[in-house]
Amino acid sequence: MSTASTMNPAASPSPDLGVLERPPQVLNNRGPLWVTDAVCSIVEGKTPLWWYAAITFTGTFAAIGGACILYMIVTGVGVWGSNNPCFWAWDITNFIFWVSMAHAGSLISALLFLTRQKWSLSISRAAEAMTVFAIICAGVYPAIHIGRVWMVWWLFPIPNSYGMWPNFSSPLLWDVFAVTSYLTVSSLFWFAGMIPDLAVLRDRATTKVRKFAYGIVSLGWLGTARQWRHYEMMYVLLAGLTSVLVVTVTTIVASDCATSVVPGWHATIFPFYFMVGAVYSGSAAILTLLLPLRLIYPQLRDLITPSQLDKVCKLLLMMGSCVAYVYVIELFNAWYSANPFERGAFWERFTGSSAWYAITCLSINLTIPQLFWFKAVRRCLPLVFILAILCNVGMWFERFMIVTSTLTHGFLPSSWKDFHPTIVDILTATGTLGIFFTLFLLFIRFVPIMSMNELKAVLPGTQQGNSAGEGH
Amino acid sequence: MKKIFPHPERDTSPTVWRSLDERENSAIFNEGLGREFSDAATGNEAGPSGLSRRDFVRLMGAATAITGVGLTGCRRPEAHLVPFAKSAEWTIPGKFLYYASSMPSPVGAVPLIVTTTDGRPTKIEGNPLHPASNGSTDAFAQASVLDLYDPNRSKEITFNSVRSNRSELDNLLADIRSKAGETAGEGIAVLVGRDHSPTINRLHASISKQFPKLIWVADEAISIRESEAANAASLGAGLKPIYDFQQADVILSMDSDFLNPAAYGLGFSRGFAQRRNPGQKMNRLYVAENHFSLTGGMADHRLRVRSSEIGDFAATLAGIIAVKTSDSNLAALSKAFQSSSESMNASQPGDFEKSWLNGVADDLISARGRSIVIAGAQQTKAVQILTMAINASIGNLGSTVKAGQTNGNPGPTLEDLCSAINAGSVKTLLILGNNPVHSAPPGLDFPNLLSSIPQTLHLSLFEDETSKVCHWHVPAAHYLERWGDSRSFDGTICPVQPMILPLWNGVSTVEILTQLAGEKADGLTAVQTTFNSYSHDSTAGAWNAFLRNGFASGTQWPVVNPAFNQETALAALKTSGSTSPSGDLSGEFEVVFLRSSSVDDGRYAGNSWLQETPDFVTKLVWDNAALLSPADARMLGVKDGDFVKITAGNRSVQAAALVAPGHADKSVSIALGYGRQGNSHVMEKVGFDAYPLRSSGLGFRRGVKVEALPCAPYVFARTQEHQNMEGRDIAREGTLETFKKSPGFASEMDGEQLKPVSIYPNPPLTSDLQWGLSVDLNSCIGCNACIVACQAENNIPVVGKDQVRRGRDMAWIRIDRWFSSADHKEESLEMIPMAVMCQQCESAPCEAVCPANATVHSEEGLNLMAYNRCIGTRYCANNCPWKVRRFNWFDYNERPLDELYYGPLAPKGMADSLKMSKNPNVTVRMRGVMEKCTFCIQRIEEAKISRSVQAGASDVTKTPMPVFKTACQQACPSESIVFGNIRDPESPVSKLKDDPRTYSSLSYLNTRPRVTYMARIRNPNPAMPGAELVGAANRREEHA
Repeated sequence: MSTASTMNPAASPSPDLGVLERPPQVLNNRGPLWVTDAVCSIVEGKTPLWWYAAITFTGTFAAIGGACILYMIVTGVGVWGSNNPCFWAWDITNFIFWVSMAHAGSLISALLFLTRQKWSLSISRAAEAMTVFAIICAGVYPAIHIGRVWMVWWLFPIPNSYGMWPNFSSPLLWDVFAVTSYLTVSSLFWFAGMIPDLAVLRDRATTKVRKFAYGIVSLGWLGTARQWRHYEMMYVLLAGLTSVLVVTVTTIVASDCATSVVPGWHATIFPFYFMVGAVYSGSAAILTLLLPLRLIYPQLRDLITPSQLDKVCKLLLMMGSCVAYVYVIELFNAWYSANPFERGAFWERFTGSSAWYAITCLSINLTIPQLFWFKAVRRCLPLVFILAILCNVGMWFERFMIVTSTLTHGFLPSSWKDFHPTIVDILTATGTLGIFFTLFLLFIRFVPIMSMNELKAVLPGTQQGNSAGEGH
Repeated sequence: MKKIFPHPERDTSPTVWRSLDERENSAIFNEGLGREFSDAATGNEAGPSGLSRRDFVRLMGAATAITGVGLTGCRRPEAHLVPFAKSAEWTIPGKFLYYASSMPSPVGAVPLIVTTTDGRPTKIEGNPLHPASNGSTDAFAQASVLDLYDPNRSKEITFNSVRSNRSELDNLLADIRSKAGETAGEGIAVLVGRDHSPTINRLHASISKQFPKLIWVADEAISIRESEAANAASLGAGLKPIYDFQQADVILSMDSDFLNPAAYGLGFSRGFAQRRNPGQKMNRLYVAENHFSLTGGMADHRLRVRSSEIGDFAATLAGIIAVKTSDSNLAALSKAFQSSSESMNASQPGDFEKSWLNGVADDLISARGRSIVIAGAQQTKAVQILTMAINASIGNLGSTVKAGQTNGNPGPTLEDLCSAINAGSVKTLLILGNNPVHSAPPGLDFPNLLSSIPQTLHLSLFEDETSKVCHWHVPAAHYLERWGDSRSFDGTICPVQPMILPLWNGVSTVEILTQLAGEKADGLTAVQTTFNSYSHDSTAGAWNAFLRNGFASGTQWPVVNPAFNQETALAALKTSGSTSPSGDLSGEFEVVFLRSSSVDDGRYAGNSWLQETPDFVTKLVWDNAALLSPADARMLGVKDGDFVKITAGNRSVQAAALVAPGHADKSVSIALGYGRQGNSHVMEKVGFDAYPLRSSGLGFRRGVKVEALPCAPYVFARTQEHQNMEGRDIAREGTLETFKKSPGFASEMDGEQLKPVSIYPNPPLTSDLQWGLSVDLNSCIGCNACIVACQAENNIPVVGKDQVRRGRDMAWIRIDRWFSSADHKEESLEMIPMAVMCQQCESAPCEAVCPANATVHSEEGLNLMAYNRCIGTRYCANNCPWKVRRFNWFDYNERPLDELYYGPLAPKGMADSLKMSKNPNVTVRMRGVMEKCTFCIQRIEEAKISRSVQAGASDVTKTPMPVFKTACQQACPSESIVFGNIRDPESPVSKLKDDPRTYSSLSYLNTRPRVTYMARIRNPNPAMPGAELVGAANRREEHA
């Protein structure tokens, strides 16, 4: 929500100038009541059968993943395929993959909010939810991948009888701070945005249980002007904080690689590399999540408009092109460094025994996003859905390539060794996918999946709806 | 002590009986009568660890008794149990005691100093006083301590697989003796190994005198009889050539891996290494061999020659030298060989070979009297004779090649024993130590012959293939738990002292033979009697000095200047065809049988340390393989792991192939001693048994067919999968010429060095002790002694084949073996071994990234690893450029290796006996923590404590540090690892660090490693073909 309208300098009426109309954010001239009904009906209606089927499916994978993690903890990290020299493999691959995906959610909701991009309002809630769930999935890995999980609290600067502190020069410690702050702030941001909408659900509740539960989580929201004033202040601050965190957290995660001496990791471009990769994979993930929702709930087609999806596709295109640029620059740097170890790392990455990771990654990430140059592609939603999934596959392979094929081909060729995942690796990875989708399904079922209060502000006929795009 | 209960005389067929056993009057019942409690009640039932509670307490007590009360030569030996509470005054719990001993071996005993902790031998070191060791050891000696504690050792005397006891064994031996007395020993045969024990020789003499018809066979699976016969023919009976590599300027090795300390003793590699210093006159080594050996890796010029063509090679060389020196005797020998049936009559050598041979011949002749030509002991008699003739012709006999007068006629062979058994003239056979059922050539049909003998007894450490066929099985006492004596390579007599009472009632060969000889003596007395027979001084002082020094000086073989006997040599050469392999020669391949670097001839197959020590060259663990040249592999269409069928005569073996660079074409090499069928899971399903292919004791067999088998490939576990340096200057080498032109060429390879800067403040290095280590690549032969020494010293766990295959071997020091070929051809292939351990960087990449502060720097420059603090993020290992950090992926110490993936469902715990083998000064690491080389910090700290004690109130920094070595340094036979205080300019390591050859690997990273390397220098002969490609491992094309 914004108080920007009061500061709008372009309030003087000049409608007869040939201004290109921005597409409306909500189609078919829907009114506020319709928006409330459309969004609340998803939560209030009878639980559909497909939902049970879906959550059983994803829940099973999540449970298997959980069992694998338990097995790993009681048996040893050796149940994974990690080896010497590839001490990290799918654990950190998945960590980076998820944490990156999270960034796009924050970026779309917070950064676009701050920059007054109204087109993101309908997708911001889902994007934030995706952020929170992706951080949860990401956070699983650093917590469990260590050799002695029961000592994980040593990573936190807790005063203790040994008088020992963690090592503040270690990027892994920065990770701990980064991921925990990011999870905290993005959860708060997500939750804070929901409060007015949860209050709507509370007010519309027909059963006592619902009324009580939504009453608790809406924190006594009344919608008074005073509450709105404080609320919007807080929301702007949180948005600002989240936007900063998006950049710092990616930079820190990238530092895991960049501050090491390993050829193929030791590069200053990594923070940017991870940043653009993150937004790229996150945009793809949002498309992957929203397009099916739009299919299942037809009323959402008026809220998630083709023009908004088109913008997400353009974002994907831009970030995909940045990613491609980084690939080229990385290769150029390796060649230009004239350092045999740097050159060797990239030579092995593309010609060695594990070249297929790199080839998969590059062939997807260099080509798929470029298809979004074509409007026909951007407007063909089934195709967009498939391409978005492919982009995420490509990004997963990129993370896999960065982590694994770098470690497997280090300084001394004598210690080169390929990585092969075990079944536990695979099931843990699918387990986190299961956790993610389970959480998302719960989100669909119990929480308003769109920010009703913000959408109502941009309805056609409202002040903002009329002046959409002006002066922002 | 158990009470003996006198029972009244019992009716042998009672009408009232308590059990069926009593009614049948069985042996078990009668034995039980004399006991107060049954075995189960006395706690003698062994648990899953293989050791019962009582055993454990007894062992610990017994161990104390030995250290405390004697058996060490200081006091009269007593056999009481003494509790720890009453230990002797001079033992300090937790402090090491050191005893001199030796490890008997067919190639010559290794003189040892054994470290014992509270009565348990835990570590083996070489005896620095003994010239054959000089303080170093080989990998087998280092690993032997594990055999002692192996829970899979045989523990019971059995008769037809039923448990028996010592008194029944005594009765049996008395019975055999009395029978032998009646028949003068007819029908009795003894088969022993060739351990060169003077006591066994004395008992043999005594037994032969009493029972002249007794058959005594001393033989080994990997036999040196051809070489003995050749030496007898060319030099004289009983003469054994002693090569002085320190005096040799030019050396030609024909299929001889003389630098391998496990095969030829420690003296050769040391003498050789001392002549590799480019600052002084450097020797030159030519090697002709079929597969890359350690010696081939050190060669300045190496030629791939099939083992079976070594004879022709030697004869051609002899011919060339004969022409050049106008030596008609040598010419006659050369001609005699070429007309014998042994000659392959191969096509005339090509141009390359011809100019190679000419170059070698010229170099040998020019170094007249200062060269050595040596042939592998597994080569035929004819080759040995030719070799000795060449040595004689170029004046080496008497200068670089001397001879020791051994007392030996090697006596009858296993073949002789088999014909005696076939003739039905053996009624009783005692096999003391050997495992002929596994290793005898299949043509002898030994297993069936053995089962045809009415009475057989087998003494061995493990219940092996032979034990299963013999009636009696007796657990052998390990050499660390028995009395004995042995001769080292040069003949010096060394004692074998027990460090602990036999853990599982083992019996020694000496004890069995004393009973057979009718001596009422235990092992100690028998050895003492022998000592008195050769010692000039029979006082207790001389005996004590013998035990304290670990050898009796002046007892080496008398050295003579040998003369070459042309007539006998020529005669022997003409008849040599008869002993050489013949038969169906239709197959075009030869098969070469290698002495395994891990299991020797199979005797160490149960030793998991050795099984997990990579092969010198292939870096294969837990397996052997059929080694094929790349060309043959292409021809057969096989890749690493594909099965091949090797057919020799009417037998064939299926083995997985491994492509071995530098291997001769039309030749397949396979290590012996694998494919064992013992009772220990360590040796089961490990490798392929190559013994069935043998027809004799020779090292190769001709006329073999090799074909590829179309089945699923076998999975090998190798510790190094990539052999090429990829143009990175990791191991550096140059030629002598390069070195003379630019001594600092190795560090110049780094190019322009920028002034080192660091954004982190490095930890202050405030101590007066700054530890550093130098590895000399020029003398490192890659023999693995350091790897096993480190494993023993630092309690490094074994992880098993599956885990090694997954890249999880735990060795703290590894030997990277690089192949390089300047022109990418097999002919110019070179091998460089490079020992890599934690480089103890001053600005360590691992330290900066550990979030838990578990790896930090000490003020002495050590990169410390706090296991307690480690949570196992593994970031340090990712950031280690040398990849020397090792992670405990599982609880390797506590869980069975085949049940690692069972997690908490697998039984937990280590066998009690294995616990006894651990070094108490080193933490046994748990799962989930990182570990790595510590520069043997426990030894550093021990030395610092002694220094502090010595300093007392005075300034400790002014007190000199006691001399100590790291485990790898101490074991190294060629002294290529040197450790010490680099702040002390007078320390050997400081001087080496100033050597122009010294460089740091990966120095551009500016981590400032405390481990530095000294470049390898090759000494090529410019007249040789391909000389310009020697020493060019770091040479690169311009554009790279």
